[in-house]
Amino acid sequence: MKLDELTKGLFKYNPIFYLLLGLCPLLAVSTRVDNALGMSLAVLFVLVGSNVIISLLRQWIPPEVRIPCFIVVIASFVTIVDLFMYGYAPDLHERLGIYVPLIVVNCIILGRAEAFASKKSVSHSLLDGIGMGIGFMLGIVAIASVREVLSTGAMTIFGYTVIPGLTQTPAMVMLLPPGAFFTIAIIMALINYTTIRRARRR
Amino acid sequence: MMESVKRIVRISIPLILICIVSGATLTVSNDLTKERIAGVEQRKVNESLSMIFPGASFNKTGDYYTALMNGEEIGYAFIAQGKGYSGTIKTMVGMYQNGTIDGIYVISQLETPGLGTRIAEPDFTNQFSGKRIEDIRLRQDGGLIDSITGATISSRAITEIVRTRAEVVVNETR
Amino acid sequence: MDNLLAIAVGAIFVNNFVLFRFLGLCPFFGVSKKTSSALGMGFAVIFVMTCASAITWPIYTYLLIPFEIEFMRTVTFILVIATFVQLIEMVIRKYRSSLYKALGIYLPLITTNCAVMGVALLNVEEGYSLIGSVVDGFSAGIGFTLALLLMSGIRERLELADVPKSFENLPIAFISAALLALAFMAFSGMRL
Repeated sequence: MKLDELTKGLFKYNPIFYLLLGLCPLLAVSTRVDNALGMSLAVLFVLVGSNVIISLLRQWIPPEVRIPCFIVVIASFVTIVDLFMYGYAPDLHERLGIYVPLIVVNCIILGRAEAFASKKSVSHSLLDGIGMGIGFMLGIVAIASVREVLSTGAMTIFGYTVIPGLTQTPAMVMLLPPGAFFTIAIIMALINYTTIRRARRR
Repeated sequence: MMESVKRIVRISIPLILICIVSGATLTVSNDLTKERIAGVEQRKVNESLSMIFPGASFNKTGDYYTALMNGEEIGYAFIAQGKGYSGTIKTMVGMYQNGTIDGIYVISQLETPGLGTRIAEPDFTNQFSGKRIEDIRLRQDGGLIDSITGATISSRAITEIVRTRAEVVVNETR
Repeated sequence: MDNLLAIAVGAIFVNNFVLFRFLGLCPFFGVSKKTSSALGMGFAVIFVMTCASAITWPIYTYLLIPFEIEFMRTVTFILVIATFVQLIEMVIRKYRSSLYKALGIYLPLITTNCAVMGVALLNVEEGYSLIGSVVDGFSAGIGFTLALLLMSGIRERLELADVPKSFENLPIAFISAALLALAFMAFSGMRL
């Protein structure tokens, strides 16, 4: 039963493709798999941290000021990530730029705080945070892989070459903003396509 | 009256407490990371200085560095930064006393990966070595620097940034 | 002194918040089905972004910097923006019910609109003056509205178009956004 809280975020209610949340970082930092992984680890940390703290405090926060309270908790976690990333992974911090502090307005996090953590127990909220965080990671890494391979003809993750150079003339447009929109459109259409097919077969 | 005051207190105390705890936590995190962050910036500057004038020692004078080799002045190094295609380009520039460029080294940039980022690669930056300041322009602007195909904006941005700053430093050191 | 014209053109066209920086995408896809609601959302965002720029700049310059607590900027900015939006909502609900009817429903959405937070952070990062920041906030809002209006025009037409079943609704909206972004790239490198 409890495991459901963890797995629902992965596929069934994937925050990106199902709930359509957190689009801004999704498109902005998905140019490379490195960046996508770094970003989603940061989001995972903030999501789990704020879910747990908000769930702990849920009976104690007056409903009238719950949104400001949630926001302060989330923003604190974001700042912690920001500071430690600057100190310990400066290159990543520089590439992600203002999208690190912008995690604070990522709708996934406030959405989970409001819809889940403020009502459920700590252990449920912890699992929900991990599930949603990993769901976000799956989505963003999928998009980043497509964009990196198509735009550079290769894939390098933290210095390791996963896919060597396939072509001398890659599709540069995939790196630029239009490529991001194209990729997510095609992935969504594929998901729709399989859903329609499956419904027809039934 | 009393009622509403009570209500305000009841609502605001949790929020205030959360803010205080948050402030305290962040101050601690800031103290924990402050030195490391300062170190990161300094390390980048030192690294780029040694790329420009290998083996030299540096004296900071105003906003540029004087490079010394065996106690003798061999040139100047300075940071030039400005807007690129998407974000700030920050680069270290080495210049000899006669005003020719020794070399440049890009410290940080946020250009388009695969296109604009090539301004940081030696193929492009090596072009600056040995050029006079007035020749630090793209070829199509009447200079001697070949721009990167598909990234003219980034190429022009870094060329302009380097030249403008070099002109200022030349006047300061003269 | 900031070049105000350059800031304005940059924020509206060259570095369009939605199509170049990917900020404010949720309302961009959420409220772009009808031109009328797109316009309402656009005006609300222009107003909030301009005010947010005007408020966060003095807070950063006169409060956070003197006390050397710049690291608190994320917490401070988001709290100030959230409070401000809620305050505006209360005020216009009380005194301007017609305006509330037009903009009211969009205001709560703006708190978590990354474009507002984004402009506040970018102003600090770019080191703009107070006036520069306000111009930047205002023009970024205009840029957002422009993109939103264009998108809603396209989507109103798409309603009538024969779109493949798997592309209906959002996927085709993303494809349109891609083409819009492609068109806006023609502005890149414009210098003033």
